[in-house]
Amino acid sequence: MDNLYIEATDRSPAVSFEFSKGHLQLSGESYPEDANGFYKPIFEALDSYLDDLGSGECRFDFELIYFNSSSAKAIMTMMDKLEEAAASGAAVNVHWRYDVEDDNMKELGEELGEDLEEASFHLEELDDDG
Amino acid sequence: MADDDLFDAELAIIEAAEERLDQPFANDADAATFGDLLKNYRKLFRQSRRLVRISDRNEAELASMAESQRRAAEEISHKNAALETLSNKLSKYLSPQVYASIFSGQQEVNLNSRRKKLTVFFMDIADFTETTDRLESEELTSLLNHYLSEMSEVALSYGATIDKYVGDSIMIFFGDPESRGVKEDALECVKMALAMQTRLAELARVWRDRGIERPLTSRIGIHTGFCTVGNFGSAERMDYTAIGGTVNAASRLETCAVPGSILISYETYAHVKDDMRCEEAGEVTVKGVAYPIVTYRVLGVAEGATDGNATVKVNLPNLQISADTARMSDEEREDAARILQETLTRLRHSEAPAKKAV
Repeated sequence: MDNLYIEATDRSPAVSFEFSKGHLQLSGESYPEDANGFYKPIFEALDSYLDDLGSGECRFDFELIYFNSSSAKAIMTMMDKLEEAAASGAAVNVHWRYDVEDDNMKELGEELGEDLEEASFHLEELDDDG
Repeated sequence: MADDDLFDAELAIIEAAEERLDQPFANDADAATFGDLLKNYRKLFRQSRRLVRISDRNEAELASMAESQRRAAEEISHKNAALETLSNKLSKYLSPQVYASIFSGQQEVNLNSRRKKLTVFFMDIADFTETTDRLESEELTSLLNHYLSEMSEVALSYGATIDKYVGDSIMIFFGDPESRGVKEDALECVKMALAMQTRLAELARVWRDRGIERPLTSRIGIHTGFCTVGNFGSAERMDYTAIGGTVNAASRLETCAVPGSILISYETYAHVKDDMRCEEAGEVTVKGVAYPIVTYRVLGVAEGATDGNATVKVNLPNLQISADTARMSDEEREDAARILQETLTRLRHSEAPAKKAV
């Protein structure tokens, strides 16, 4: 399937879903005016990809600086989808990458990671070079 | 309130459901469905609690940013106020027009100059040292500052650029940084000179009370011509001023002026002759100027000129009149007529001291 790329804006994150490589990434800030409108095509692409993943491998990197409540719900939904895929046999690795000085983002990662039982969760500090 | 206190009701539901799950169900399918429901409820509960925390954190972060912004704005406001106070203080060292042109960005603060036709004015107090030598230093300072302040006020009301004060002398010019045209600049300059003399005469009464027995009498010289005007000095310390033969000539005319008179050059006279009554006052030679300067003494505003006959201004060494007949009340008119009539009578019956001696 076609890869999905969305450039970052002041209010929305960059999306880089390289399905061919099994490497998906969401990075930047997320407080879009229309969270449903922004995340809907992302969910659809992710669903379509995960449906066909079977026992394949998938890596998802979250590199977020700031997100609002609606985006948090969207992130949790994506985590659920990844967890379901892992439960169905896929090798899913979720990397939660946070700025070393951002304690809030680290804490959020820790909490979100607690919900993942089947997918592997990795909490990583971002260095200055990203 | 701890986070979980807000979710007591949900936690109680989960606890009750867990207890129920330990009890037997009618069949395995019901037990499995109940188990799934509980699992999803737990997940939903965790998500709700997380969302509340995220929302609270974001709000706290925004509030902290707003506070930082408020503090920054407050600091900027304080700094602006301090800068304004400082610039107000500094502005006292500059002519208002120069200050305004620099602060509005019209004039660059660098060492450059240009040739411009200006009307340059010099004024000093005749015999200032002799007149004031009996004054204490503090009194002299006070008198000098009062005199300079009053003259500057008149100058600024005519749109003059005050170049500098040197002791009791003042250098002023018209034509830069603002100009109303060479003719208007010259005319305003001469009008200003007359207004200064009038003001000086009014102040004589005030100063007499302070121990200045002899009234201060000014000498004024005015010349119109090309000057080099701009910033001179060094990049670290510069003065906005005008230089050139025109400036020297105006200064020379001032020293040649009879105390109480305004001596102007022909170049200035040519611009003001329709509006001012003047009389020829001979020629003056100026060092560095090849030809003698023809001079004129200003006697007052020409009849029918500018003020529509309503004002009379006379400024002679021993006669100063400043009357605005249009503004006079009937009573003032009668008083003015009486005073002038008395003066006329005295004038007709008096003789000049020299003539008397003969």
